[in-house]
Amino acid sequence: MTVFALIIINKAGGLIYNRTFHEGGLNKISTNDYLVLAGTFHGVHAITARLNPLKPRVGNRSSTSSSSGPGGLLTRPEPPSGLEVLESENFRMQCFTTLTGVKFLLFTDPTQANVDLTMRRVYDMYTDYVMKNPFYQLEMPVRCDMFDRKLGSYIREINNR
Amino acid sequence: MSYYFAIIGTQDNPLFEYEFGTSKQGGDGQARFSEQARHLNQFVLHSSLDIVEEVQWTNGQLYLKVIDKFFNNYISCFMTGGNVKFLLLHQPTATAAGATRNSTSVGANPTSPQTEEAIKNFFNEVYENYIKAIMSPFHKVNMEIRSPVFRQRVAAAGRKYL
Amino acid sequence: MAHFGPGKTASSKEQAGLRYPSNGKTIYHRPLHRTKTAELSQASFAYLFSEMVSYAQRRVTGIQELEKRLNIQGHPIGLKLLDLLLTREPPRSQTRPLTIIALLHFIKINLWTHLFGRQADRLEKSSNPDTPDEYMIIDNEPLVNAYISVPREMSQLNCAAYVAGIVEGVCDGAAFPARVTAHSVGGKEEGEMWPGKTVFLVKFQPEVLEREALFGKG
Repeated sequence: MTVFALIIINKAGGLIYNRTFHEGGLNKISTNDYLVLAGTFHGVHAITARLNPLKPRVGNRSSTSSSSGPGGLLTRPEPPSGLEVLESENFRMQCFTTLTGVKFLLFTDPTQANVDLTMRRVYDMYTDYVMKNPFYQLEMPVRCDMFDRKLGSYIREINNR
Repeated sequence: MSYYFAIIGTQDNPLFEYEFGTSKQGGDGQARFSEQARHLNQFVLHSSLDIVEEVQWTNGQLYLKVIDKFFNNYISCFMTGGNVKFLLLHQPTATAAGATRNSTSVGANPTSPQTEEAIKNFFNEVYENYIKAIMSPFHKVNMEIRSPVFRQRVAAAGRKYL
Repeated sequence: MAHFGPGKTASSKEQAGLRYPSNGKTIYHRPLHRTKTAELSQASFAYLFSEMVSYAQRRVTGIQELEKRLNIQGHPIGLKLLDLLLTREPPRSQTRPLTIIALLHFIKINLWTHLFGRQADRLEKSSNPDTPDEYMIIDNEPLVNAYISVPREMSQLNCAAYVAGIVEGVCDGAAFPARVTAHSVGGKEEGEMWPGKTVFLVKFQPEVLEREALFGKG
């Protein structure tokens, strides 16, 4: 039960955060390789999102307008999610894309449970300690002590469980 | 009885003033100051500020009661937390003053407990409205209060208690 | 200022250029006394404060100037809260603070509870005999800094300068003119326990101490 690493990719495909929590889980690669990984994943994700056809809205065909959801609100069809999980023998990578196009990649042990929950908490912390920080510039690398600290103690708690 | 009420800022600058008469005992709420007295009132009121400064550090109450007297003019004072002074000059009608020394009616005897209480209630109501006035984000300290609603509220408090 | 007769008052309601809310209710129609449970969203405050800091950061040359701007933003709030919190006191304890200690207690208890929902953590007097005019209000984790990480190149900055401005406003309003500054001390003495620990240093003007000596301690 281990969380190995977290990578955050901005909506343009740039690496903005990269942290390893557990020694020996993943091999070390150079910073440059991380940048390449982020860019490549971004591209692959974009292609898989295009491969994935739009889901027709179920049971909404008969109504007058296909774009009006429950309660008469205008809703868009669910966007294609693209690549979500990547599994290998030694690790499992889960991707979460926010509404603004930021991607969180969490590398964990293949047997790790409740990754969705962990991801949710990481996203919470990102919104709290990064987005509410007046010194953070959008799309730029995340350098927030408070985020590092809170994230570190949360993941440590999971890894020691 | 006629009243002259003024709010004095921290730099001894006037922020608001209002004249009115008693509404008790059949008063019509009109001030009965002579034209000359109206100018004198401002001097009398402001001259009491020296005494306020002496009293304010020995008495932590907001309401400092009657703090000064000039002939037949009595000055009651109320200090806000922000060191803004509410001063009320009250002038009992000349004939009534001497004759009804022991009278307890608000209009006649300016130092009776009943009068003190009435003025206290008046000040408290004005204070409440004053705080609402300064809560405006456009209000800066020591700014003149021009709100017509505030003026109406002060007038209403005067009618209600004095 | 001109004299206004009572006659003029009635007509002033129709003064040109004044707009009234459509329901006819102004701030004067609303009660001053709030229910105790009224709470505000911390997230919306965090976003607002974040924008305030960004705004203050525009066209400033240094950290001192930035802190000064934050201080200025807080100052009027302190002036206003002083009167507001005083009226919300029960009538018998409704007294103006006359001594430094009474004032600091008012800040530590009433002001902090109103703003942050709890008291300040500690109140101290400077132990240095050269600075008897300095007092310290200590907050282990200031609410305004809850989500703020100051970049390393600005390590001198503490955004609680805004709260310092509020405290300064209260002191100035109560006729205890003072300079209040916020200093980060987390991670120094008591280690990692409170990384955001902040000391609000209240330095009173000499005339305050003179007066204090004159009127005695209460």
